[in-house]
Amino acid sequence: MILAYFKYLLTYAFSRYDEYPFETKVAIIITSFSTIMIIIMQLNMFFGSIRRKNKERLRNSIEYKYGMGMAWILSDDADYIASSETILEAFGLDQNYLGKQILKKDVEKKMFADVFYMDYITEKSELSKIENIHHMLSMFGISEFLEREVSLGNMRRISDSLHKLRAFKLQVSPWVVNKLLKAKNLHVQRLAMYTTIMSSSDSALDYFETDFFDKHCCIRDEIELAYSLQRRRREGLKLPNLARWAHIQMNERTQCMFVRLMRRFNLVEYCGELKDLFKESKKKKLIEEISRTWGYLHYVDCEPMLIDTLMSQPDDTKVAIMHAMTRLGTGKSMNALLDGFHNTTNPHVRYEAIRCIYNYGKMGRAMFYKLEKEATEADRKYFAFFNNPITLEKIRLDKEQAYHPSVETVFNG
Amino acid sequence: MWVLFYQIFCYLVFSYSILLMASYALLVLMSRQAQNQLDINVPDDETIKYMMQGSPLTPAVSIIAPAFNEEVTIIDNVNSLLKIDYPDYEIVIVNDASTDRTMELLINEYSLVEVPYDIAMRVPSKPIKRVLKSTDERYSKIIVVDKEHGGRKADGSNAGINVCSNKYFVCTDVDCIIEPMALYRMMWLVINSHKPVIGVGATMLMSNGCIVEDGRVTEAHVPNAVFPMFQQLEYLRSFFIGKLGWSRINALPNISGGFGLFDTDIAVKSGGYDTTSMAEDVDLMLRMVTYMNNNGFEYQLAQVPKVCCWTEGPSNLKSLSRQRTRWARGLFEIVVNHSKLFFNPSYGVIGGIMLPYIFIFEFIAPILELLGMIFLIYFTVKGGVNWNTSTIVFGMIYSFSLFMTSFVILSDVKTKAVDWKYKRVSYLKLVFASFIEPFMYHPIVTYCSLVGYWRYIRNKAAVWTPIQRTGVKKK
Repeated sequence: MILAYFKYLLTYAFSRYDEYPFETKVAIIITSFSTIMIIIMQLNMFFGSIRRKNKERLRNSIEYKYGMGMAWILSDDADYIASSETILEAFGLDQNYLGKQILKKDVEKKMFADVFYMDYITEKSELSKIENIHHMLSMFGISEFLEREVSLGNMRRISDSLHKLRAFKLQVSPWVVNKLLKAKNLHVQRLAMYTTIMSSSDSALDYFETDFFDKHCCIRDEIELAYSLQRRRREGLKLPNLARWAHIQMNERTQCMFVRLMRRFNLVEYCGELKDLFKESKKKKLIEEISRTWGYLHYVDCEPMLIDTLMSQPDDTKVAIMHAMTRLGTGKSMNALLDGFHNTTNPHVRYEAIRCIYNYGKMGRAMFYKLEKEATEADRKYFAFFNNPITLEKIRLDKEQAYHPSVETVFNG
Repeated sequence: MWVLFYQIFCYLVFSYSILLMASYALLVLMSRQAQNQLDINVPDDETIKYMMQGSPLTPAVSIIAPAFNEEVTIIDNVNSLLKIDYPDYEIVIVNDASTDRTMELLINEYSLVEVPYDIAMRVPSKPIKRVLKSTDERYSKIIVVDKEHGGRKADGSNAGINVCSNKYFVCTDVDCIIEPMALYRMMWLVINSHKPVIGVGATMLMSNGCIVEDGRVTEAHVPNAVFPMFQQLEYLRSFFIGKLGWSRINALPNISGGFGLFDTDIAVKSGGYDTTSMAEDVDLMLRMVTYMNNNGFEYQLAQVPKVCCWTEGPSNLKSLSRQRTRWARGLFEIVVNHSKLFFNPSYGVIGGIMLPYIFIFEFIAPILELLGMIFLIYFTVKGGVNWNTSTIVFGMIYSFSLFMTSFVILSDVKTKAVDWKYKRVSYLKLVFASFIEPFMYHPIVTYCSLVGYWRYIRNKAAVWTPIQRTGVKKK
């Protein structure tokens, strides 16, 4: 249909300039096209600027009218649930609004939600009482408006509203989220996934015991999942068995993500379920993450497995296992660490072995000084870092560093 | 015989122009699509910050800034880098054996002391003499590397890569003014991608004419000076149409050396910056792409559509011609050094489509323009030019170029990529620049390109001369 229309247009245009050479006809068509596009764009800019001005005006008026009330809701840390009357008073509204629609038009609700959301996330008002926020949003019709937006088809609006719903910790109807979990747009699918994990019942999480996550695995997913799980824990809901989720996935990155999340949420109870993965997996990164998790969570049952496997692993994995041994700090793996130092040629692994010995409690410190005393001229460089207060700061293995994979390596020498 | 040759040439050039315009139109469509996709996937700056700043998973970034004889601006610039809003980053200042007081000022201002170091030279650079860190906790982000003189930015950048400890690094010029949210904007694309992101390009604009306060651009203006104004338009076109369009099909042509983010590990495995190249940024990106393709790894190259960095462009003809000659020489080097990638579909869209496009429409264009000019002059003298047709064809090219400018301005309006202080005045200036650009600016750039090619062919020693800076306006 469109092609036929274009064909007609071209035939018409060409017939108008029958006596002209071919290049002239082409030039005239392109010039006309460009001119029409320029006019359309200029008009778009003109009307766009009017639209923007109107929006800005509306925003200013919302800020002026309700700004004080918003600030009150966000800064109020009192331990009580505000009544509708109190909220109306805080927003400077007449009590006649009780039970009535305060904002009538959707465009006003959208602007109100935008303004409040911006204040909410920039002020990070963790102190404010979430129940009062929910009550206020419901009085202004924002909760209902956002849920309606989410069930509409426009991906941009859905994504926008899902961000707000998640930030305000508002519940979304399960049927809406279920529909979005199957949306074509991956981004929307992911937002729906985070929302489900944040507040759904335990049985709703069964949906994810598939390879669902394999197509959703990036750092952002991990950040958002961590946030959702944190919210879940705060609301007293049970956290899913992430070790089982790691087993189900095929993708190494996804498996690593769940293992990392286990250590973030101290899920020691599932650590044993990782033994099979550790033994059978040939995936280097996964073995590294499991070792780190075991070390961080003090899962001492794994120590014999770590000791047995240390010297047969690639260099990066050796480092992760040595770190785990240090965090376990039971005293049984000192010989393995010494092996790591003496029987490796890679300078990075040797440096890390020294670093682990240094951090291995009293026993480690004594061994460190002994090794320092006996060190050859070539090996002295490894010990120099420990005698300087600035570099020493980075040598300590603190919890945050241990969690973050990218800061495990301090010096690359 | 001559007339026949002339006619064939005319038809060739005409077909070439039509193809060029068609490819531009396609890029416009692709950049629109990319923008639509980003509108859904990338939330506003505040949401990005809200999600990333509290998470220990937010990847750390190293900012590498090579410096040579920067005593006038070094402290302001490092202070500006310290003000970047990002939860986890380190600043690696590489002093390329400055002969002025750069090093002394750094040591005094930030209480630097020498620390032990043992750095594996993962990529080639001149030897490092010492590594310094601050005893003051406020400056714990800073690492200063004092090295032997390498003479090129690439050498300093490589030293920075050798020292940096994070998975991603940003290479920048020490005199660039970086937007506070720049790292969040770039890293969002990294953390949001399912494929490993090996490079992220950022939108860079001219700082000429802007007001700078406390190391930040507080008022963005289109420059009043003629050459920077043309460059502003050129940059906007390049970032909003070219780079954004190509990023839609994962074929970003270039990650600017002024402000670009790379995966450290892949950059190291690809050999780091080429210290002899005049286009070290494109060269590194192409070597990284080659490495990923040769090993069958998936990868992603992304482009941030919002302005992340402001740089001072050449403000006079001399500096401009030096810069453009160098760029042209760099392009020739790329064509020669990476010839196996060109027209080679086994290197994906980059080898099969993007590089052939660069070769046909960017590398050959100045040569064709020169030939066109020679023919035009010859036949004008001989009286063989059909002026009616020529005028119509000129009108076609002119109106198309105005259409492109309108598109760029519309994109800017819609995405709010740049927060111009006076929007209308800025857009009017850009439209004005686009009207006179084909007569005033384009011939100069074409001439410089030809000079650059000629110098490369004659193997004339390449000298990197920093552009003459006039400084930005300060409040």
